[in-house]
Parts: sequence; structure tokens; C-alpha cells
Amino acid sequence: MTMAEALQPAEFAATAARAVTACADLDVREQARHLAGDGLLGVIANEEVGGLALPLGFAVPVIAAAHAGLLGFPLLETVLAGRLLQASLTRLAGAIVSGETLATIAWQGEAAAERDGGALVLSGTVARAPCAAKVDYVVVRMDAGAAALIPTDAEGVVVEEAAGLDLTVPEHVVRLEKVEIPVGSMLPAGTWDMLSSDANVLRAAAILGSAEACLALAQEHASTRRQFGHALSYNQAIRHALARQKLGLESIRHAITRSLTGDGGPLQRDAAFLAAATYGSSISEGALQIHGGMGFTWDVPVHRHLRRIRTLQAQGDASGLISAFGRRYVSEVAPFAETGA
Amino acid sequence: MSVVEAVSTQALAGENLTGGAYRDAMHRWLHANLPAGFRSDSAAFAPPTLQQSVAWEAAMYHAGLTGITWPQAYGGHGRSLREHLIANQEIGRLAMPESVNSIGKELAGPIILAVGTEEQKRRFLPAILEMRNIWCQGFSEPEAGSDLAGLRTRATRSGDGWRITGQKIWTSGAYRSQRCLVLARTGPLEDRHRGLAMFAVPLDAKGVRVRTIKSIDGRESFCEVFFDEVEVVQADAIGAPDEGWAAAIRVLEIERATNRMYRAWRFENELRHLISACKADPALSQMVGDRHYAVRLGEVAVEIEVLKAHVETAVEALVNGDKIGARGSLAKLYWSESHQRFAALALELLQQASLPQLAAIKVARRRFEAIYLQARAETIYAGTTEIQLGIIADRILQLSRGK
Repeated sequence: MTMAEALQPAEFAATAARAVTACADLDVREQARHLAGDGLLGVIANEEVGGLALPLGFAVPVIAAAHAGLLGFPLLETVLAGRLLQASLTRLAGAIVSGETLATIAWQGEAAAERDGGALVLSGTVARAPCAAKVDYVVVRMDAGAAALIPTDAEGVVVEEAAGLDLTVPEHVVRLEKVEIPVGSMLPAGTWDMLSSDANVLRAAAILGSAEACLALAQEHASTRRQFGHALSYNQAIRHALARQKLGLESIRHAITRSLTGDGGPLQRDAAFLAAATYGSSISEGALQIHGGMGFTWDVPVHRHLRRIRTLQAQGDASGLISAFGRRYVSEVAPFAETGA
Repeated sequence: MSVVEAVSTQALAGENLTGGAYRDAMHRWLHANLPAGFRSDSAAFAPPTLQQSVAWEAAMYHAGLTGITWPQAYGGHGRSLREHLIANQEIGRLAMPESVNSIGKELAGPIILAVGTEEQKRRFLPAILEMRNIWCQGFSEPEAGSDLAGLRTRATRSGDGWRITGQKIWTSGAYRSQRCLVLARTGPLEDRHRGLAMFAVPLDAKGVRVRTIKSIDGRESFCEVFFDEVEVVQADAIGAPDEGWAAAIRVLEIERATNRMYRAWRFENELRHLISACKADPALSQMVGDRHYAVRLGEVAVEIEVLKAHVETAVEALVNGDKIGARGSLAKLYWSESHQRFAALALELLQQASLPQLAAIKVARRRFEAIYLQARAETIYAGTTEIQLGIIADRILQLSRGK
């Protein structure tokens, strides 16, 4: 029996939840070591780099638990980077999986490369790079769907704080001013599409974790807060609002499950993320509404989840993706002709 | 050519096919045998007569496309729910007419399988599959719509049998049915859900009167059914008076999650038809290429994918022996509301077609205007949206009433 057959993804949820709690007061590097110790950074990386070589579905409960617990670490990016680099930059991938080296991914923008002898010179501005100010490497998108790995301490790399909603894992802008990297740090064409597709499943998982936490908070509040002589949940308007949130939550969960089955391809993965972006936003906004004035306070964590969900929505470019999703559908259908109807 | 002449005489039901081979066989049979005139995405479409529908559905049964999970002892094909899903995916991918006996196949049949006597199973179930008996559902009443506990139709003892008096309403297809699954009260009204019993009432019995009601789509499918001291033999009582309804509720929970399992794939067929019609029209082909409509069509496509996910995970849960419980309400709520949004978008697009109107647009308008109107009922029948939300709040979230 292989390890994948002996394990169940759900078993990882409990481990991840415990690890998230333990990381609460640690800095990013200490968190990396702690999460690596629990095997969470290498869930989907191969065994050569110290990973568990499990399918992507095993990362889903890990990412969901991390986001439910508001983990302040770029776990999604780390898990993907470890596997991304395992074939071409094996030693570095091992260091990422072991928590010794930190990496993130800039989800927005792309850089241009010029060849200069045996090296490549990169220029451009990329953004939406979670925790870029605290990591050692950043993966950026290049022309033709390729990707490149850039050390953040290389000459010409400028990491800037960016305005953004997410307080827990803040995003950064990375400016590349003639940054020289070895040719071996360039990952082949097609890398980015694969990375984005996997990321969409994990973003959906992240949103699921946050949305689940929001619904639990809203449900708890509705059951305990009394107004007009009754708990809020006595009122049909509140009951129905929570029921709609539950429908959204289960829709995200089922869409993720389907995207990981044998029939799941890029279309199902995109659909899972798009469903999560839509329903996750409404669940977290709905949870704020049910909390009333309390939901608008800093101390009630619903707004932290809302911030993360909106950030994940932007990192996956949900607006662009839904348009592409529709266009792809339209392009695949032939104009009506009686014989082909 | 009649349907009976059109369909292949080769039955697939007995073939020992599984997985992809089973899907291929179902796909090939449907494409070879579905008459062009039955396809609502065809210019040749003409709504089938009752006789044609009966013949077509009987042929589908003999081909192995209905009665898939029912035991072979009662005429079923004895296959798994996974194969039921495969067959329904293939059914959904074609724009074929809805069953005229869905109440028989998806409500009465499963209830009889769960609580009927051996004699009832042998008498009723093969007749449903072979389309010798069409059924209708006699649950709602003028004073008991969503709240069935308030129903007033009475069943009283009469010799060895029962005598039923009362009125049912919104009884789809009663005019064409041979049997009505009637829910009637054997005790006082105050008993609410207790003392409810079910009967398979023959609609040609003395004292039964059916009156059609014209609905918003112009059709006369809805009916009122009046029962005036109708004598019903004990052999037509389904389940014991006090257990029948409770068992029916359990069956209905599963049915809500699994009935017309082809919906998501049919909605996809509708979406592809809509897009194909738009792409044939000069003005609409521009519009569907624009970002605005690309986004809105994308939203519909995502909802169809999510609906498929609801259906497929429910099937896997049931196959693995899980209880579906109230989760059927999630799928029902999802498909009914998303289909209404889609139908409204289809109408909006088609209303902007170029002049003179092309054949493609005429075909699409005929189909989508009907779908739009029919979809308005989808958030009402089989438990309204408000009832589904209440079930989710009460039974899934178990929200406190907190007085």
C-alpha cells in the first residue's frame, strides 16, 4: 500500500489545525520550521526533497485549516513552490520543504527577460506577492507562461509594501530592475498555467476554511445574541440568511471535491475557485451583517477572513477568469446549424 | 414514422456493460433513436403527443435507461446509482422531452419499493416502467400547500377498505394518469403529521373527478382532483396508516437529491444551444463575444459545474452508504434558483436578436421562452425556496429557535 492509499486527506486537517494554533506567536521563519516539522510544507512535494509525495487533494484540508485559523504564513505559496522546484532546483526545493528557506509567488504581473551571456536579465514589476518582504525567493511569471525564481536579496530587486486588505499575510510589490539570474532559474513554458490551476484549487480550499470559520462565528452569534426577547436565530430572516450561507459553503466544498476527482480538469478547478470567490465573499460579508455593530469591530475576526477572501479573489484574478471562462465556453460552441443542433 | 417504429428493437438492458462501455451504449442508443421532432433544439421540433411520449419512454425503459436501480424482480435493471448517474448524464445532454410519468418513476415507485407490500411491488412497479400506468401526486390541497400537515382529505374505514373524500390541487398530469398517490388523513386535523396514510387511487374509480387548470405557460397540465366518497380497496393502501408518511418523508429526502438527475447536464445542453443560436445571429454573435456577456455566461457555466458537483457528491455519498438526510434541500435550492437566473439571461439575450429573425433564433426563442416560464415554478414545486431554507436552517444548521 502506498502512503497515499494509507492516508486520508481529512487526517491532515487535525494536524494542520494544531500546527496553526502552535504558530500563533511565532515569526515567519519560526513558523516555517514548525510547519515543516509537522510535514505540512511538503505535503505534495516528492520524497527526494523531503516531501510526502501526496496528491493535491491532501493539501486541501491543510490549506483550509490554515485559513480557518488565520495562519500568518504564505503556506499556499510554499506548498506549491516546493513541488514546482523539485525537478529542476532540487536542493532549493528541499530547503523550502524543510522550512530553512522561504519562498513566495507574485500572482500579478509578469517580467521580461533579456539574455546576457550565460545569464538572464529580468525587468518589470510584479505584485500580489504574499510576505515577499520576509522571504528568500519569489517566483514570478514570465513571457509565454514560463516562470522564474528570483532571490529577494539579488541586486536590482526592490520589495515594496503594497496597499492591501490582508493584514495576516500582507502582499508586496516586487520591482525588478535589471536583475541577473542564472538560466537554470528559468522554469519552462507552461509552468505558470499549471501553477495557476493548482493554485486555484488551493485558493478555493483557503476560502472554504475562512468561509467555514465565518459561518460558525455567525451561527454562534445568532444563537446567543438576544434582541426583542429572542435569540437572533429565532427570526426567519436570520435563519434564511444563514441557510443561504450554508448552501454557498457546501457549494464550494462540493466544487473542490469534484475538481479533484478523475474527471476534474482545468475547467473544474477554475469553477471551484470562481464558486469559492463568489460564495466566500457573500458568506463573510453575510457573517459581518449578522454580527451587526460587533462585526464592524477590530476584535471580531470576521473582517480578517473577509480581507483574506477578497485578497485571494484578487490573487486568482477572479474577474478576469470568469470572463475567460465564459469566452472559452462561447468559443467551443459552433453556430447553430440544423444538422449540428 | 411513429416512435415505436423509430426506436431500435435491440435492448441494452440485459447487456453486462459497465463504466465507459455502459456510457457509450447509452449514448449510442439515445442518439440513434431519439426522433428529431422530439428535440427542442431542432427546427423540426413538435411537442410529442401523449401516445408518442408513452411509446418513447417505454422504449427507453427497454433500452435500460429507466428503472436503472430498481430490483430486477420488479422489472428494474438492478444496477447501481453510479450507472443511474451515467445514464442521466447522457439523457441530459440531449434536448429531449420531460417524462410524462416522472411521478411514477421518481416518487410513487420509490415509495412503493420502500413501504409497499410484495403484491403491490409486483403489480405497480413493472407497470410504471413499461408506461402502462402513469401516476400523479395527490399531496397539495387548497388549504395545505407547503404545510401538508394541514391537509383535510379524509380516509375512513369502509368494510375491508377505505372511503376517501376531499380535494387535491396542483396535481400535475392528473388528466393523463391512471393512478394518483393520495395522501389522506385517517385521524383528526389536530393530529397534524400523525394519522396520515397513502393510497394508490385508480383515477377511473367512481367518485373521482379531474379538472384541468391553465398555467402561465398556456398549458393545461395542472389539475384539481375531487374525491367524492371514493371506495379504495385495502390492497391499494401504501404502507400502514401511521408509518406510511414517515417512510415517504425518508424516501422524499433521497428523491430530492437524486430525482431528474440529468438536470445539470440538461442545463449545459440549454447553455450550448443558447450560445449556438447567438453565434448564428449577427448582433448576438458580437454580444456573446463582449466581456459583459462573457462574464454572465461564465457565471451560468460555473453554476452548472457546481450543480454537477452537488449531484455527483450526493451520488457518491449514497453509494458509500451515507445518509443524505436534509442535504437534498441544498441541491434543490441550488438548481431551481440557478436555472431561473440562466433562463432570464437567455430571454434577455434572445430579445436582442437581429431582424429579420433567423431560424436559429426562432427555435431558441420557442425553447427558452417556455423554459423561462416553466422555471418560475421550479422554486415552488417539490418544496418552495422558503421551505428549503427552513429545512437547511432547522435540520442541517440546527439553529436554535431561542425563545
